[in-house]
Order: sequence, then structure tokens, then C-alpha cells
Amino acid sequence: MNLILIGMNHKTAPLDLRERLSISCEGAIHPLREIMKIPKLDGVIYLSTCNRVEVLAQTIQTRETAEGLQDFILQHGNLSREELIRCLYVYEDQEAVRHLFRVTSSLDSLVMGEPQILGQVKDAYRQAVDNGTTGIILNKIMHYAFRVAKRVRTETGLAANAVSVSFAAVELSKKIFGGLQGKTVLLVGAGEMSELAARHLINYGAAQILIANRTPARAQQMAEEFHGRAVPLDQIEETLRDVDIVISSTGAPGYVITAGMVAAALRRRKNRLLFLIDIAVPRDIDPAAAAIENVFLYNIDNLQDIVDENVRGRMQEAQKAEAIINEEVFRFNRWYNTLAVVPTIVSLKEKAEGILRGELDRSSSWMQNLTQEDRNNIEILAGSIVNKILHDPIISLKEESQDYAAIPYVAALRRLFKMEDE
Amino acid sequence: MELLFFKLALAAYLISTLGYIASLLVRRVLIAKGSTWILFSAFALHTTFYLAQLILTQALSVKNVPETLSFFAWILCGIYLILQLKTKTRVLGAFISPVAFLLMVGASAGIEGPVFLPDILKSGLVTLHVTLSIAGEALFALASGAGAMYLIQNRLIKRKSIGSFNRLLPSLKELDNINHICLLWGFPLLTLGVLIGSIWARTVWGSHWQWDPKQIWTLAAWLLYAVLLHQRLALGWSGRRVALFSVLAFLILLAGFFLEKTFFTTVHNFM
Repeated sequence: MNLILIGMNHKTAPLDLRERLSISCEGAIHPLREIMKIPKLDGVIYLSTCNRVEVLAQTIQTRETAEGLQDFILQHGNLSREELIRCLYVYEDQEAVRHLFRVTSSLDSLVMGEPQILGQVKDAYRQAVDNGTTGIILNKIMHYAFRVAKRVRTETGLAANAVSVSFAAVELSKKIFGGLQGKTVLLVGAGEMSELAARHLINYGAAQILIANRTPARAQQMAEEFHGRAVPLDQIEETLRDVDIVISSTGAPGYVITAGMVAAALRRRKNRLLFLIDIAVPRDIDPAAAAIENVFLYNIDNLQDIVDENVRGRMQEAQKAEAIINEEVFRFNRWYNTLAVVPTIVSLKEKAEGILRGELDRSSSWMQNLTQEDRNNIEILAGSIVNKILHDPIISLKEESQDYAAIPYVAALRRLFKMEDE
Repeated sequence: MELLFFKLALAAYLISTLGYIASLLVRRVLIAKGSTWILFSAFALHTTFYLAQLILTQALSVKNVPETLSFFAWILCGIYLILQLKTKTRVLGAFISPVAFLLMVGASAGIEGPVFLPDILKSGLVTLHVTLSIAGEALFALASGAGAMYLIQNRLIKRKSIGSFNRLLPSLKELDNINHICLLWGFPLLTLGVLIGSIWARTVWGSHWQWDPKQIWTLAAWLLYAVLLHQRLALGWSGRRVALFSVLAFLILLAGFFLEKTFFTTVHNFM
């Protein structure tokens, strides 16, 4: 197939190394143009993200190209050769195709099933197309890769279910409130975690953010950031009446929200559902609040359990995804193998077509006497005889191409039909 | 021939039930969507069955248990399909479809071809009484179904067992909403049905009220729902409590239906 894929990812190379490589490649020079200078290279796609650098090349001479690509990386990554050998992986032909499929469908990602990688691969492909560095084979591989990614997404649960704590909180909110539209969120404590969770909730439609913090200045600052409102810490009990979701993350040693406060607030809010998320250690919200009707209390461990469970689920789904990838690699192989016999089939058809045209032209003088309809019928008849005769050899040739036995058939066909000197 | 559409509808209910079960097992929305359409065709066939009967005998016969079961299944499906358009909670279909199928199996044991009713039961009031009452009860059935799902979902979220089953069920908010809509519509329909029944009763028996077991039981259930609706609308009850209440109220309604058929003689019997 003469395909070669060379690269490094988060599993094989440390961050600073990937960083060095991707900055150096993107910086002064144009990576695609640089790589195309490597001799015997037919086409290339270059992908660089924060977790990986991958170069997929189509070549005439695998060995030489592999060395050229390694030199390219050596040069730009400022690496020693030992480092390079340790961090780089090189895949050829079928394995290169498989690796590309796995990358595109997010099986090879740090967070398996994350959706960004597909867009990144698409961008990389677009750049290659814009620079004219892809040919028929690379185009086909990429189209296969995008189809594989789509199949994995729709046919497996690889991308389903939250795998981060803040996203798990969003998912739970949806299970309780249906959606987050119009919901009010109270942040108690203005830490990094609660900020992240609040950002997620806003992305999913939460209407208003209230912030209560020990230092009012910080609360005010965050309120401005989220277009929300700062609330004094001693008014939490009153505020509980009007909010739907509470995220608590203070450093306080005792409970900031007691079960009594929750129960009182719930009576006054006519039993509307209340979702309490306690991500503080030690805990901010009295666990006894969980027993109150229409109150749902989750602490950091509960959320982490959900995440762990989902990660396990993704592992199982990954197996299904691998099966899809195997299937598609096999299909791609079939397509590739028929490629070898395609030129012969084309010239066989051209030859037959030429004979047909020639004979019809020669007969045109006596066919003048016939009606237009009869002439058309004769042309159709002749055409279908030619097609019928060619049909079986063409089909057989395509079949033979699948087990590498096509070469003697191709040779024989070319000899028999005198197509050798083309 | 007369039961052809009934049998076709029965088969369609079965297929849609199997479809819903399959969709739950393999978690494919497409199968559930297909099942909804099959349920819709089951409903259409069932409707055809009733139309044919109406044309032939000028009346709907809903006078014994099998006929009531069939009619109940028909109304239940109709209401669910309307609800599906409005609330998009497809998983409720997985609950309705098997119930409708089982009702139809029960009905098929005793349902006969076209029944020519005595003239007294051919009155438009009777048809209206039966349709409205059963529609009200079917809405209560749906309310209790949504309530049961609410209780399960509530328990799952409280116990932090967030798994695939939890994802399958709609959100608490949606379930509460369905419960609310069903109670809000079911109550006036049942009320109207009972009132129309009593008007008709006066024309036949000479009085509005007979202290018949069926009437007493229905009144009790009606009072129960009146209380529930009051708590919900005036006191702002919602969530788990309403869900539990509507499940219990429907169980009482259901128990009444079967107890009265088995143990009591009633003037409400037209067999």
C-alpha cells in the first residue's frame, strides 16, 4: 500500500516534547510544504493537537520516506535520536490505516470518546487538500476515516455519558429538571471547581448565577464575570428559597448549609425540587439533608463514582468500536486491492469501445439505407453484446484482486488483448 | 369478518410491545420511534373496528368486562398518542403499549361480533357517558404510570444509582408534568362523564343516584382525586408525594372495578 504513519501521542511522549515539536513545526515553517520536500513522497496529511502529532504519508519507497520523516521530526523537535526512537511510533500500510481510524474515532484519545478530535482531523485534512498534498488514496482513506468515526459515534456508546465531575453534575441536573433553561444556580464559595461547574451549567442554559463567598470582593468579581449577583454569606438560608441548584465548595471546617436550613427553605419554596452539589472537603452540606423529600444531595465522591462508572462503560463500548474499525480496515483493503486491476479494466473497456466504434463507422455507408430506428437498434445490440462479453472477465478480475492472485490474470489479459505496449 | 380489525389491532399492539421491549434492550431510539408508529397503526385499526361497529349497529357496545377492556385500551392509546405529540416522552409508550396489549388479550376472551344493543342503551348520552368516564380513567391510568416512573427515577437519583436504567427514564420534571396534565384533564372528564350518566339514569330509573356499588366506588375514587388535585393546585404539592398519591388512587379505582364485577350485583350491569 506504501502508506506510512509516524507520530507520537500522550501515551508515548511527555507533554513538553509534544509541545516542542508542535510549536517548532507550526512556527516558522509550513509543515506540509516542508514534508513534501522529502524525496519519493506522493502525498501527506499532518495533524497536530495538544495530545498528538501525526504524519500520514503516501510514498513510493517506504524505507526512505520513513527516514525522511524521522529526520523532519528530529530536526524540529530538538530531540536526541534515542528520545525519538522511544517516543515515536511508525505504522505501515494496513496498520497505518487502522491507527488513523482509531485516532479519528477518538479511541486513541486521552479521554476516550471526546468529540474534538474529529474536527481536528477534518481541519488537518482540509489543510492538506488546500495545499494539494493529497491524492486519490489519501482522499479515500480520509473519507473512510470520517465514516468510521460517524459509525462509532452512532453505533456505540463510546461518546455517551459524562466523564468529568462537572459534566456529571450537568447530566444529573438534566435528569432532575429536564433542562437547565431558566434555572438559578447558587455558588457557595468561589473556588476553581465551582467556577468550572458554573461555566458548564451556563453553557447548558442556566439562567442566573448567584455567588456567596467569605470574601465579598471575590464574590463580586465572579458575579461580574458570570453576569450574576453576589449574595452575602449570612443570607444563604433566604437565598435557598429561590434557587434550583446549589454548588458548595468552601474551605469551612463545619457545615455551611444545615439540614434545618434546607428543610425550612423547602417548605417556603412549595416543595420545588432542589439539587445540592457539595464538592467541598470537608463537606459543606449536612448529609442529613439528603433525606428530605424533593432534595437531591450529591457530594464529590458520589459524582466521582458516576464518572468512574461511565469510564468503565466507555471501555466496554471501545470493544465494539474496535470491531467496527476492523471491519472498515478490511473494506478499505478490498477497495485498495481492486485498485491494482482498475487500469487493466479501464483499458480493456476502452479497447472494446474502440472496436465497436470502428465497426459501426465502417458499416455506416450501408446502414444509410436503414431507418433511424433500425440504426439505433443495431447500435444498442452491438453495445450490449460487447458489455455481456466483458462482464464476466471484469467481475472475475475484481474478485481475483482480493487474494493477491490477480497479477497472472492481468498479465494474461493484457497479452491476449494485446494491451501490453501502453 | 367483524372481528377482523379487532384481531389486526391486537396483533399490532403485540408487535409494538415487542418493539418497545427491543428498543429498551438494545437502546435504539429508531426502534422506539418505529414502535410508536406501529402503536399508532394499532390505534387506527382499533378505531376502524369501532367505526365499523358504529355504522352497523348505530351504537358502541361497552357493557361487559371484555368490551370495557377493549374500549379502555383504545382510549388509553389515543390519549397517549396525543400526549406523545405534546411531551416527547417516548419511554412512556413502553409502558402504555404492553398495558394496551394485555387489556386487548383480556378483551379478546369475550368480545363478539357486532352487538345489537337494546334501544335503551343506544342513547347518545350513554355513549358520551361511557367515553368521557373511560377517558377520565385512562388519564388517571397514565397519571399513575408517570407517577410510578417518577417514584422509580426519584429513588434511583436519591440512591445515587446512576446507570443505564436511570438514563432511560425521563427527567423528574417531565414525569411530574405528565402527571399534572393527566390529572388536570382526567378529573373534569370523569366528572362530566359521571354527571351525564346520572342525567341518563334519571330518564331510565327515575332518579339520579341509586346507591349502586359501582357508583359508590366511583364517587370514592372521584373524591380521592378531588383531594389530590386540590393539594396539587392549592397547596403546591408536587414531586414524590403526588406521584405516590396518584399511584395509590388509581390502584383503588382499579380494585373497585374488579371487586364490583366479582362480588356485587349492580344495576350498572347490562349483560
